[in-house]
Amino acid sequence: MKKEFLLGNQAIALGAIEAGVKVATAYPGTPSTEIIETIAKLAKKFNIHVEWSVNEKVALEVAIGASYSGVRAIAAMKHVGVNVALDPLMTSAYTGVVGGLVLVSADDPSMHSSQNEQDNRLIARFAKIFCLEPRDARTCKEYVKEAFEISEKFQIPVMLRTTTRVSHAKGDVEINLENLEIGKQHGEFIKNPSRFVVIPANARKLHKKLNEKLKAMEEYSNESGLNSMSLKGEVGIITSGVAISYVREVLQEKELEDISLLEIGVTHPLPRRLIREFLEHCERVLVVEELEPYIEDYAKTFNLCEVHGKDFIPREYELNVNIVKKAIYDFLGLKSEEKSIGISLDLPIRPPVLCAGCPHRALFYALKKVTKEKIYCGDIGCYTLGINPPLKTIDTCLCMGASITKACGMFHAGVKEKPIALIGDSTFLHTGIPGLLNAVYNNANITVIILDNKTTAMTGHQPHPGVGFTATLEETSRVEIEEICKACGVKFIKKVKPFELEETTKVLKEAIEYEGVAVVIAEEPCALIARKLGLWKTPYYVDKEKCKGWLCQACRACIALLSCPAITWSEGKAEIIEELCTGCGVCAELCPNEAIKVKEDDKQDR
Amino acid sequence: MTNKIDKLSIIITGVGGQGILLASNVLGKAAIYEGYNVIGSETHGMAQRGGSVVSHVRIGNVFSPLIPKGKADYMLAFEPLEALRNAEFLNEKSIAIVNTYPIIPTTLRGEVWKYPKVEKILTELKKFSEVMAINASELARKAGSIKTLNVVMLGALASTNFPLKEENLKRAIREIVPPKTIEINMKAFELGKIASKSQENRLF
Repeated sequence: MKKEFLLGNQAIALGAIEAGVKVATAYPGTPSTEIIETIAKLAKKFNIHVEWSVNEKVALEVAIGASYSGVRAIAAMKHVGVNVALDPLMTSAYTGVVGGLVLVSADDPSMHSSQNEQDNRLIARFAKIFCLEPRDARTCKEYVKEAFEISEKFQIPVMLRTTTRVSHAKGDVEINLENLEIGKQHGEFIKNPSRFVVIPANARKLHKKLNEKLKAMEEYSNESGLNSMSLKGEVGIITSGVAISYVREVLQEKELEDISLLEIGVTHPLPRRLIREFLEHCERVLVVEELEPYIEDYAKTFNLCEVHGKDFIPREYELNVNIVKKAIYDFLGLKSEEKSIGISLDLPIRPPVLCAGCPHRALFYALKKVTKEKIYCGDIGCYTLGINPPLKTIDTCLCMGASITKACGMFHAGVKEKPIALIGDSTFLHTGIPGLLNAVYNNANITVIILDNKTTAMTGHQPHPGVGFTATLEETSRVEIEEICKACGVKFIKKVKPFELEETTKVLKEAIEYEGVAVVIAEEPCALIARKLGLWKTPYYVDKEKCKGWLCQACRACIALLSCPAITWSEGKAEIIEELCTGCGVCAELCPNEAIKVKEDDKQDR
Repeated sequence: MTNKIDKLSIIITGVGGQGILLASNVLGKAAIYEGYNVIGSETHGMAQRGGSVVSHVRIGNVFSPLIPKGKADYMLAFEPLEALRNAEFLNEKSIAIVNTYPIIPTTLRGEVWKYPKVEKILTELKKFSEVMAINASELARKAGSIKTLNVVMLGALASTNFPLKEENLKRAIREIVPPKTIEINMKAFELGKIASKSQENRLF
């Protein structure tokens, strides 16, 4: 047994392996991705099937199939991924499970890397399944093991709900993989149509059974060691998840040591008896929870004492020690001394940007050349960064796969400009295909640009069906996006290489002028993958004699139009940062003074 | 098992791609070698595409993965602007070790003058805590690769009154960096240590 400094997500992965998981599935999404990545690295050794599924609905359904066959399965996804998987989730609660089934929902309060900050504890309640909420890396490992146990005991899926500050929090975690028995178990599906075939006659019975099961689940919650209560003074705090850590840190102060504390690890079903006992003991209670007033609303239904929560704790964004301390002090009517020193300098922001040599930049540049004022329906991926000036080629971003469908809606609404949908390869395979099929079927007139960089880039380069290998790096068949478009009935399909600016511009123009659904597939590997494969070319340099600097007739187009991290300005002239330049050459093509060059004699691959 | 440290918090700041996660892993591992509890929090996902990145490492009797404002004992700032952006975590007793080599945000490349002068940044930072300024990027290049910037910074940290043992920091570095790069990383560590001790490299 040894200790390692691990992410909450890595601890979840190790806990699942220690629990004997047999099938692990996911679609990548921050902050959930490292769970499956970690299991994938150990898959062979422990005989686990690990896959990047094409989307979250598929991931959960594969896990459900495995569970129906009696083995333990885990599906991991970000909070909004659970929306995609909601259909199978809702009814899997009716059928129940056989082998333990854990759904990890990694929520993202503060939206560090997400389009919303929905609180998925509400989904667990809605679906009538268990919800366990670890508070740090150590409890991640402990709770996932408990999740498998109770999933089997109660034959119900269990949501393990984390947040960014749990998934991406780190901690010293014990690893006990040495003596682990390698899973030799084989799944076996035992037929039981009254349970596994949800025709209405069966579903009616199953729903009633599920509601009865909920009572037993609540009884477990009352007794569970994952909740802990310490009854002291008449003022109390109820808390859950990472907020427990913040509350504990604030309560280290001597003058606050008399506060009663209820820490809840099982947030669905809530431990009714425990909460009742706590509320009976206290006069005033503050519920400290991130996002929705989930426990607060529940506690208020008892009418046993004064319950506060969102009147002191913000309903938006993640919490921290300072916010929680202020809330607790305000609640107690104490004055907290927070001195703060102002900064007298204007601090420029540093937003994330497309990498140097990113093929999306070239495509966006070409697109702006042929379309001055078009509507650009975007999707979810690195290319969403095209929202920023100077590129400004993203006008909408809603959810995975919505670019093509939103464009269709705009066309059918009768907008004047022909809408352009921009979608990445992984997102297209995730939920883009039905939208494209729908566009053709319902006679939309839109342009679809598929930015095919051969990977799921934003989440750290996970493979997908268009790549040719699996999560465990085994070779597999590779699907051609072009063939999918053909099968959807698209008549105009053209491939371009975005760094070939002239040709790309020409094809984009044709596609936009075409009447009907036109697809342009922009194929070029992600710059970061290209570096790993040794595909970076000789870096460019600026010929300072030729660069006109401030007098540039194209108004410093290299900087103004590209926003490339490798191009900077030094002593009145453009300059290329050699170690960042991939040699993509887009800046050289647009410089009117031919000042950006590659040294002829060292034109060779790096 | 030693128990000298009650609470110790280190904030590491910089720009995505500078090797911040490796530095926090070194601190975490070194703390485990000495038998301490250690927790922390990292930036992943969208913010890593050249954006501002922060990593928190906390050792001892602590619960929150994020350092409360004013409670960081040490700051390792891989970039001057990012040091100042996180100044609220410092207090008058903390030590901020700052790499003086600026990375101009891509959005400002056409208006580089909007990036504050490094001397001004350091003066401002001095209002919050003790500041040790070294050109760690240059030292990393001298060691053999800009990628050793994180280890130069750890070397500088080891030259202060930092309570984790230097030998444990080095042991953690050796375990974490790619085996081929151990030699240049050890050189980087020494360069960081020497530079931070020499007065001429200390702007303050």
